[in-house]
Amino acid sequence: MRRLTGIGLAGLTVAVIGGVVLAQSSSETAALEGLTFLGEPVAEADLEAGERVYAESCASCHGENLEGQPDWRRRLDNGRMPAPPHDETGHTWHHSDRNLFIVTKGGVQAVVPGYESDMPAFEGILTDDEIADVLAYIKSTWPERQREFQAEVSANDKGEL
Amino acid sequence: MPSFTRAGSDNKIRALAFDGDVLLTAGSTLAVSGDNGGSWVERATPGKVLALATHSDRPGLVAAGLEMGDVALSADGGATWRIGNAGLPNGDVNAIAIASRNPDLIYAAVRGDGLFKSEDAGETWTLAMDRPWLKEAELDPLTLASVDLETGMGGIWIYAGTEMGLTRVPDCFCRWQDVQPGNAMDALISGDAPPPENPLPEGEPVLSLASSHSAPERLYAALPSGFWASADGGVVWTRMAEEATSAIAVHPRDETYIAAVIGDTLKLSRDGGATWRAAAAG
Repeated sequence: MRRLTGIGLAGLTVAVIGGVVLAQSSSETAALEGLTFLGEPVAEADLEAGERVYAESCASCHGENLEGQPDWRRRLDNGRMPAPPHDETGHTWHHSDRNLFIVTKGGVQAVVPGYESDMPAFEGILTDDEIADVLAYIKSTWPERQREFQAEVSANDKGEL
Repeated sequence: MPSFTRAGSDNKIRALAFDGDVLLTAGSTLAVSGDNGGSWVERATPGKVLALATHSDRPGLVAAGLEMGDVALSADGGATWRIGNAGLPNGDVNAIAIASRNPDLIYAAVRGDGLFKSEDAGETWTLAMDRPWLKEAELDPLTLASVDLETGMGGIWIYAGTEMGLTRVPDCFCRWQDVQPGNAMDALISGDAPPPENPLPEGEPVLSLASSHSAPERLYAALPSGFWASADGGVVWTRMAEEATSAIAVHPRDETYIAAVIGDTLKLSRDGGATWRAAAAG
């Protein structure tokens, strides 16, 4: 996958995402067939990196096997929703690449003002490349139907980063 | 014959729906009118009805949310009924909607529990999502409407009225959220000024919602403060009648033809709520 540089959130309450500069990596020759993120092919190395990032930064809430927290459709006592699954039983595959990137980097409040979530904004915790890798890894686990659906959602999302 | 004037009595109309050109009223009784409210025929009721839903692509389909639980389904405009409750918990089904793009997909809100969905025309049900969270509390949907406006997530919206106002959830059920302009996310990201909004009165119950199949961006809402209309999917609202309004239905092929219980009287409008006339009282 091309490396993402120059994507920055100007703040957490007003999420301003700067221009995307894509630079081709010389090591990316083993793109997974058909799998892209933000329009760019995903390489095996990206998926391996994404799997590591997922285990380190995501699995504690979203589950080692992307299964989410138990009873994730029921609200917690604090009014917030549990971490949903990232596999095909959840809703992640309904969101475009751009939406997933923005939510991961800026938190849910970056797309839904005032929304309270236990998930942090990962800006400053993960690099843009790491966010892209982990989202590509999650996408790689979906069955074909979910991947095709999400690819169409992404293609229809004409917004910019 | 339905009674349109006895507020608080057992004859109070709880729900309205258009099945094609046929108008249905329901509460403790159920009645239908095929002549724009001129005359009425009473039908067998499957129980005390709290909510009704129909679908323009399937004439005769009526889904009814019942007090004391269960969803009743009719394939013949309310003449006969079957009960669909597999997987539904006990509790009043006080809001119901049929997915605008799929008449086999039905949503039901169970008081004190959550939002359930059936993908097999009401035979079996699963929890779709917990109840909305507004003003630091979990609130029951009082009304549901499947609104055929794109979410950007490959689906459409489900709007809900609660005791504390309006909310909505994409039909992927990621999160309940306030209604905001379609380009609000992009404005937030770019730092541009947000588009103008005129929401419904803050903290006021939204008792009934209706979205027309013919013009889904046009929404109607029943509130104690009156009858409200929006032409942009619920971002900017205008109060069209100032009497307390409790139930609404909109014709599936004519978004300007509305039935509403206004001031405890069933009234009809043929101009989007600008003017009203009382329906026959039987």
